[in-house]
Amino acid sequence: MNPKAGPVATLVKVLLSLLYGVPLLWIVLTSFKSSADVFGTQSSLLFHPTAQAYRESLNADLVHALGQSALIAVGTSALTLVIGVPAAYGLARTTGWLPTTGLGLLIVLQMMPQTATVIPLFQVFGSWHILDTTGAVVLSDSALLIPFATLLLRPFFRVVPPELEEAASIDGAGMLRTFWSVALPVARNGLFTVGTLIFLLAWGEFLYAVNFFLTPGHYPLSALLAQQVSAFGINWPGLMALAVLTSIPILVVFTSTYRLLRDGLTVGAVK
Amino acid sequence: MSAPAAPVARQGGRSGGTATRGTDARTPARYRRRPQKRLVFLLPAAVFLAALSVYPLIQLVRMAFSAVTAATLNSSWVWTGLTNIRTGWASGQTQQAIVRTVVFVVIVTALGMALGLGGAIALRTRGRWSGILLAVMVFVWALPPVVNGSVWKFLLGSNGLVNTLLLDLHLRQTPAPFLYSQYWALGSVAFVSSFAVIPFNALVYRAALLNIEPEVFEAAAIDGANKWQEIRHIMTPAVRPTTLVLLVLTIVYGFRGFDFIYVMTYGGPGTATNTLPFLGYLQAFVRYDFGLGASTSILAVLGVLVLAVVYARSIRREEADR
Repeated sequence: MNPKAGPVATLVKVLLSLLYGVPLLWIVLTSFKSSADVFGTQSSLLFHPTAQAYRESLNADLVHALGQSALIAVGTSALTLVIGVPAAYGLARTTGWLPTTGLGLLIVLQMMPQTATVIPLFQVFGSWHILDTTGAVVLSDSALLIPFATLLLRPFFRVVPPELEEAASIDGAGMLRTFWSVALPVARNGLFTVGTLIFLLAWGEFLYAVNFFLTPGHYPLSALLAQQVSAFGINWPGLMALAVLTSIPILVVFTSTYRLLRDGLTVGAVK
Repeated sequence: MSAPAAPVARQGGRSGGTATRGTDARTPARYRRRPQKRLVFLLPAAVFLAALSVYPLIQLVRMAFSAVTAATLNSSWVWTGLTNIRTGWASGQTQQAIVRTVVFVVIVTALGMALGLGGAIALRTRGRWSGILLAVMVFVWALPPVVNGSVWKFLLGSNGLVNTLLLDLHLRQTPAPFLYSQYWALGSVAFVSSFAVIPFNALVYRAALLNIEPEVFEAAAIDGANKWQEIRHIMTPAVRPTTLVLLVLTIVYGFRGFDFIYVMTYGGPGTATNTLPFLGYLQAFVRYDFGLGASTSILAVLGVLVLAVVYARSIRREEADR
């Protein structure tokens, strides 16, 4: 690999650094401004930092929304993995028309526009009398993410050598036992990668939350943010403070799993 | 995070070494001998998705051909055939939405692919700057779309940073109406959507580039190849399979684009950013005409089906090539 970056590569790097660095910087800077500072010149770098926006947004409602976000993200991750992991293993270890059809169906389902599912799910949940519950959002988020998770997990199970499983079955391990104590530990990197991704996606999902919760009182952070940013007369420092608070858990998860994500995400695409 | 579609692994591996390929070659024979008991593992997913994905899609199709409003949503629906679809076409909104969707997809795909590959080529070098920049980009990609959409709505506003720079540099006399002009809004939202997908594409391209044997570059250097020739004759051909996969995934990403439209323009100004998915949403949840919304969404579903077939074929062709 050529270690030296040419002038064009450097230019691209400068461009990308600005494109991705400035928005991040701006979220944080703006969240520490007062409303008056933003009203005058939104772009000033020199200002008197204030935690006013944070003090105003940190209240019982926000804590409740944070709890809702955590509940939805953790619940969705758990349900998606419980259903998606066995499915990925099954697809990696079977052949024939049935798994092939299943694979095709998963590809189609993961490509579905979310608006094509939010319309009928609203009716379905209504007829099941579970609208306005956190369970409805967890179920819909899981339905959205299970195809994605299964397709992403399958390659991790494909590279588990069948010899390992055969050795286990010769030793008398049953099918479930082989899956649980042989295949699962070998594919654990995939599990962590996909689990992290599901958590991040469920944390940020807002369309189902906005529509299936009938009152903003139950909204998770992402839905609150979506509601406030599409309102008139936005309080920018408050909104950016909310954005920072929404992003902090992402930062925590991201910093602890970045290497895994960086290497695990590309398994399906280049191998 | 802007949900990408999961790339589906092709069988074996181009560079995956003999172990993977060997396993693949042996697996079918070995498992054909014993009954496929492992199909049981698919059962939970099959039941769950049948109830929460397939059944809702059937309901969507039924709705599209029926008169369904908020009042009649949970009673029996009157079958009206093609009335909803005709209504959509007669109003002209469907055609406009299709055109806008195509424009949106083209911008997202062009920017997403070009800067994805460009970024990967620039970031493949080892070094602190590349490492940190890649991490920052992947972090931005991992952020909720509402966060990215919010900050860009702020940056692109009349008093926002972008306009302040444009005015200070005397590139414009008045603030550019990025989100407030019916001619600019669609492009602005498409730009932000591509902004959110570029890190993923760059990451996948980078992995593909790192798979190229270093000897190839050494040989090219001996032959006196310059940087551009390296990109043109080594990198681009080497990542062709990746390009194919990413191309379909990016097109699908643009096609189902919704989050940034919701956050940044909510379909406006006027109807300027009403793409097919967003128009369907507005018709169902703002105008409470679920039948009309469903019929618009059906068109989006059909588009996705076509793309899924193209995708499945391109994967199969790649396998056959090997």
